[in-house]
Amino acid sequence: MATTTAPTSSHPAEATNQVKHRPDRNYRRKQRWGWLFVAPFALIFLTFLILPLVYAFRMSLFTSTLATGNKFVGGDNYIKAFSDPIFLQGLGTVAKFALIMIPAQMLVALVAALVLDNLATWASKFSRLMIFIPYAVPVVIGALMWGFLYSPRFGPASSIFGIFGLTAPDFLAQDNIFGSLVNIVTWQWAGYYMIIIYAALRGIDPGIYEAAVLDGASDRQIALRIKVPMISSSLVMVVIFALIGTLQFFTEPQVLRGVAQGAIPVSYTPNMYAFTLAFSYSQFNYASAISFALGIVVFVFSFIFLFLTRKQSGLK
Amino acid sequence: MALVTDTPQRRDGRRARGSAARNRARNGGPRIGSHIFLLMLVIYFVTPLWWLTVASTKDTAGLFGGSGGPLWFDDGFHFFSNPQGLFERQDGIYWRWLGNSFLYAISGGVGATVLAVLAGYGFAKYNFRGRGAFFGILLGAVMVPLTALVIPTFVLLSSVGLVNTIWAVILPSLLSPFGVYLMRVFAQEAVPDELLDAARIDGAGEIRTFFQIALPLLRPAIVTVLLLSVVGTWNNFFLPLAVLSDPLLLPVTVGLNGWQALSNAGSGGEALWNLITTGAFISIIPLIIAFLSLQKYWQGGLSLGSLK
Amino acid sequence: MKAKFLASAGIVAATAVALTGCSGGSGSGGGGGSEAASCTNTIVNAEAPQVTVWAWYPAFNEVVDQFNNANDDVQICWTNAGQGNDEYTKFSTSIESGSGAPDVIQLESEVLSSFTIRDSLVDLTEFGANDVKADYAEGAWEDASSGDAVYAIPVDGGPMGMIYRQDLFDAAGIAVPTTWEEFEAAARKLKESGSGAVIGDFPTNGRAFNQALFAQAGSVPFEYDSANPQEIGINVNDDGAKKVLEYWDGLVKDGLVATDDAFTADYNTKLVDGSYAVYLAAAWGPGYLQGLSDADPTAVWRAAPLPQWDAANPVQVNWGGSTFAVTEQAKDKELAAKVAMGIFGNEEGMNLGVDKGALFPSYAPVLDSPEFADKEYEFFGGQQINKDVFLDAAAGYEGATFSPFQNYAYDQLTEQIYAMVQGEKDASQALDDLQASLEQYATEQGFTIK
Repeated sequence: MATTTAPTSSHPAEATNQVKHRPDRNYRRKQRWGWLFVAPFALIFLTFLILPLVYAFRMSLFTSTLATGNKFVGGDNYIKAFSDPIFLQGLGTVAKFALIMIPAQMLVALVAALVLDNLATWASKFSRLMIFIPYAVPVVIGALMWGFLYSPRFGPASSIFGIFGLTAPDFLAQDNIFGSLVNIVTWQWAGYYMIIIYAALRGIDPGIYEAAVLDGASDRQIALRIKVPMISSSLVMVVIFALIGTLQFFTEPQVLRGVAQGAIPVSYTPNMYAFTLAFSYSQFNYASAISFALGIVVFVFSFIFLFLTRKQSGLK
Repeated sequence: MALVTDTPQRRDGRRARGSAARNRARNGGPRIGSHIFLLMLVIYFVTPLWWLTVASTKDTAGLFGGSGGPLWFDDGFHFFSNPQGLFERQDGIYWRWLGNSFLYAISGGVGATVLAVLAGYGFAKYNFRGRGAFFGILLGAVMVPLTALVIPTFVLLSSVGLVNTIWAVILPSLLSPFGVYLMRVFAQEAVPDELLDAARIDGAGEIRTFFQIALPLLRPAIVTVLLLSVVGTWNNFFLPLAVLSDPLLLPVTVGLNGWQALSNAGSGGEALWNLITTGAFISIIPLIIAFLSLQKYWQGGLSLGSLK
Repeated sequence: MKAKFLASAGIVAATAVALTGCSGGSGSGGGGGSEAASCTNTIVNAEAPQVTVWAWYPAFNEVVDQFNNANDDVQICWTNAGQGNDEYTKFSTSIESGSGAPDVIQLESEVLSSFTIRDSLVDLTEFGANDVKADYAEGAWEDASSGDAVYAIPVDGGPMGMIYRQDLFDAAGIAVPTTWEEFEAAARKLKESGSGAVIGDFPTNGRAFNQALFAQAGSVPFEYDSANPQEIGINVNDDGAKKVLEYWDGLVKDGLVATDDAFTADYNTKLVDGSYAVYLAAAWGPGYLQGLSDADPTAVWRAAPLPQWDAANPVQVNWGGSTFAVTEQAKDKELAAKVAMGIFGNEEGMNLGVDKGALFPSYAPVLDSPEFADKEYEFFGGQQINKDVFLDAAAGYEGATFSPFQNYAYDQLTEQIYAMVQGEKDASQALDDLQASLEQYATEQGFTIK
């Protein structure tokens, strides 16, 4: 009865099988077959990820300016990057996004999943699909669409707020752009996360909360005390992917910049900064360094997060 | 060994027991509060798509100054003439883009899934040398943002003459580290070593063991990884933008973005707003249909990747 | 060592193709990798050598067909690689990786220096560009050349004028302003009339538009000659620029103009729904407006010359305009140069561009033709806007110099003007800060500042 969310791990079984019982001949055979199965992926992985990464890393060790030639500078670009106020400010921005956007998405996704888990009506099935549907909209098109929706004159905001007798805020103004971006991302991804969490909730053996029900526990208590802890490894996974995505935040602000150039400068997030440096200012070497510097930051943050949640995620 | 998706009896059993318990504990009413909450969520998630639907029935003048406002239909109903405009604009290049998106998404998605299944199974069931290191690099490589890879990938593709061909989009999209990761986790759980060993003792080779024993057990995960990689390729934007110059090869995302640029341009620009909204509307229909019709396959599979 | 890396990369990639390609077994089209395969147009003359061209002009297919039918010895293989920045991104990637660029490319004149400094464009003087100099409007030619070198052949320009709503002016009792002083008075009058409209928009992302307005008051932001590429003069905060920006800052503060980003859906809506009474436009503006505006049938549009600082000494300015350049990657540069000069360098081609693509020509035989001057525009109630407005503007334009990091300069300009509009600093401070940031950037990039 081991579903993926069940805490009983299969690692011990695996280890015994593979190490203790195998005679030498079998061991070598397994070596070869293991590589054969992995080989096709490994080839693509080397060609389209590792090789470009190595090349990009090499680029990041050189410098070239518009007026002078190319020269090797070692780690100078990285020193420059980590003392570049624009890059650091971008990091600050995505850190702020991570602190606000991820909890916002998680909250919507988790509450929706918990509510859906308690219902089995036609309406709840329908809602589940409708909430998920934005995931099927390509990010570029979703962001373009929100750009239209946010437009004060062109978009529907003023008529919607008008129903309640309110004046619509300018979603594209400097002070509001942060919230507007949080909203786009939440709209796009909360449904997807909700489905993951929902699927994990369905994987729990309902026998577990039957006893709690008999003891008179309320739905809320069951949700918070039993369900959420049971699916914590799913939650950790969802947050990790949201974290990586948020630190690499790019498409939504880049597209929205098309309608709010003042409020979203070209270097709003580190990834946008790298993109602009490379394709708008022709500083390919420094752009590579910025990308790797961002990669390092993403790695460190993901690692810290996994370390902090090692109990929940089951990682040792 | 019950898996997430093959549990109809279990789920029914659970539902019966669960609601029985609920009815005992609560008044058993229709849960109005929960439904209102869901209704609000649905309105939030669907309104933008409603806007897009309405917008796709307007011509450019209707979009910018129509009678019905942004959220309602205009006097002039162009639901049929807009797609016709899509057929006329550059000899119907939009439909070609849509076709390209299908080609890229399906070939890239299927290819990525095949590679992920093989690799995930290999990682999970064979303790070969270098496995841990490889898997570690795999997870680490995801951390570097893809913008860094555009120039190197372009250089690479151009050195073998593949820039501006369909391969420039399909080959890189065969890469799905996340898919491999999901497959590995799932294969570890779903394919018991005892079963494999029994097959081997019966004289089955590794390949037959894989196809006859492992593959059927991996089916729910395969559907999930397939859907995820199809969506990933369908969403693909920046790489095709950089490596394709022939407009006939573009996927629909890049093509529509190009129309947007054209409509935003002053000099030499053309206002194609009605085609953009209609094109965007049509382009999201296939994926929505795919998700709705395949929901029983992917919904369970999505929780597969829980960290162990 | 770059070559070695690429060779090994190539082998791996080729293996990957062999594996995946063969297992697919489809052998579908488009995999050949030959450049000739990607022509959007049909090649009339299969034996003639082909020149690849990237361009996004509207109705360009007809121009290409016309060219290919008229030429036996060369054929254009045309691709629309995207508008503006999309195309530049691809070109930039091609330059960096040393392959993949077309032979001839459409570039806006403002980005030419940004590409010449990367040694990616061919000086066309050695292929006889100066022989056709007389065929082009002076200012446009100036924009496409740097010192003695000619890096592109001008195609279309954007001499500026003022497009306005006659009906809104009449309703508020406003006469058409001819100076900026009158423009401000008209703005006040319009506001007081309570019509709800403002006189116009001062977009913070105006880029070339803002720069053109500065130039009208004598601002010369950059001095740069590609013969001496390491040296640059930067004077973005000169008196002309400050005078203009202070003027607009005043209008913004008094609520007399809007500050919407240009070319957004919102801006378009306001252009056509009567929120703006005036659209300060380039000659391509009417074409743009027409695409949007059957929305309001009561609108009465007319064109007039751009207001002046000194009515006695009018200064004409330009906003936008594009060219054809030959890339360093061109296989046959001479042939490519011939194509760059020939596409719109004849009356048939240019007339197609004007009639079908709404271009404002830089090619003198069409520009100076009576047909062009007398052209009546239905959208403007039959007004001959070329004769009335844009021909004079084009004739008076003397050219401008752009920096080799024009994108950076524009991005910074946008940030500074936005900060000004937000009330964070005044106009003078904004331009001083712009000057400082550009000087610092130029120094970092290894330039000597004159």
